[in-house]
Amino acid sequence: MSEKSNMKFFYAGIAIALLLSVVAPFLASSDPDGLESAAGGVIEESKLSELEEMEPVVGSPLPDYAIEGMGKSGEIIAIVIGTIAVLVISFVVGKVL
Amino acid sequence: MHIPDSFIPLNQAIAYWVIAIPFIFMSMKWAKNELDEMKIPVLAALSAGIFAIQAMNIPIGMGTSGHMVGATLVAIVFGSPWAGVLVLTLVLLVQGFVFADGGITTLGANILNMGVISGFVGYYTYVALRKNTSISIAALVGAWLGLFISAIACSVQMWIAGTFPLVPGLMAMGLYHLIIGFIGEGLITAIVIAAIAKSRPDLLENNSTIKPGKSKKGARA
Repeated sequence: MSEKSNMKFFYAGIAIALLLSVVAPFLASSDPDGLESAAGGVIEESKLSELEEMEPVVGSPLPDYAIEGMGKSGEIIAIVIGTIAVLVISFVVGKVL
Repeated sequence: MHIPDSFIPLNQAIAYWVIAIPFIFMSMKWAKNELDEMKIPVLAALSAGIFAIQAMNIPIGMGTSGHMVGATLVAIVFGSPWAGVLVLTLVLLVQGFVFADGGITTLGANILNMGVISGFVGYYTYVALRKNTSISIAALVGAWLGLFISAIACSVQMWIAGTFPLVPGLMAMGLYHLIIGFIGEGLITAIVIAAIAKSRPDLLENNSTIKPGKSKKGARA
């Protein structure tokens, strides 16, 4: 193993991650995920809408991977921001620990 | 499978945090002791890739979609389930705080399900199967089972929370995640691991499971 080949892996990984971030808003299914879908099937309707209307305990800057009023480009920006944030945080955590 | 705040009462959510914290601590200890400087770029690239691929929901029919979790993949690459716990903890933190994907009170439960349970079940299934099967099959079945078991754990938590009834919850969660686990987790993990085994076999070398039934550790020491 060499440092150079690991850096190659690093750049290839970033390229794939950024590519996924850009295409996800267009290709990802908007159907509910397994947990949401199960909730829709097994929870009584009135109780479910009550649960879904409850606000998250902590507010988030980019809820649902979107920027209000920016459509698909906002989604791309949101996911790219997340990808880069995770990249940087992982790097820093790796270095610090 | 990101549980929102409203699905688990606060006292139970705290209990899952209490269970998750020692695992998070152990994953940090793994990074401190085992993650050498040269492998940090590999960990960071995998984390970013997993965050991005989690935005890629794949339709599985029945009006439902699902995405990869990735703990098993990271665990196989690093030869340790603690690597999967660490990466999923970081990914879930960003998803929860920045994107409201999964609650903050329920972050402990989400780390427990997707980081700990899926990674440990996935990795040790992979290790067990690796003795007699190819790397691709072991990765596929391990990742698949890891995701499925974590979905079962999630439905039990939903039942304890009083959010889902037990049997219908288990059936729905089990069915959807059998399919998500095969396509979204198993196939993708197998493809990525096979590609790494081909292009960077040295990366998996510290992982004693790369060659069936033979550990390199003894020879090296």
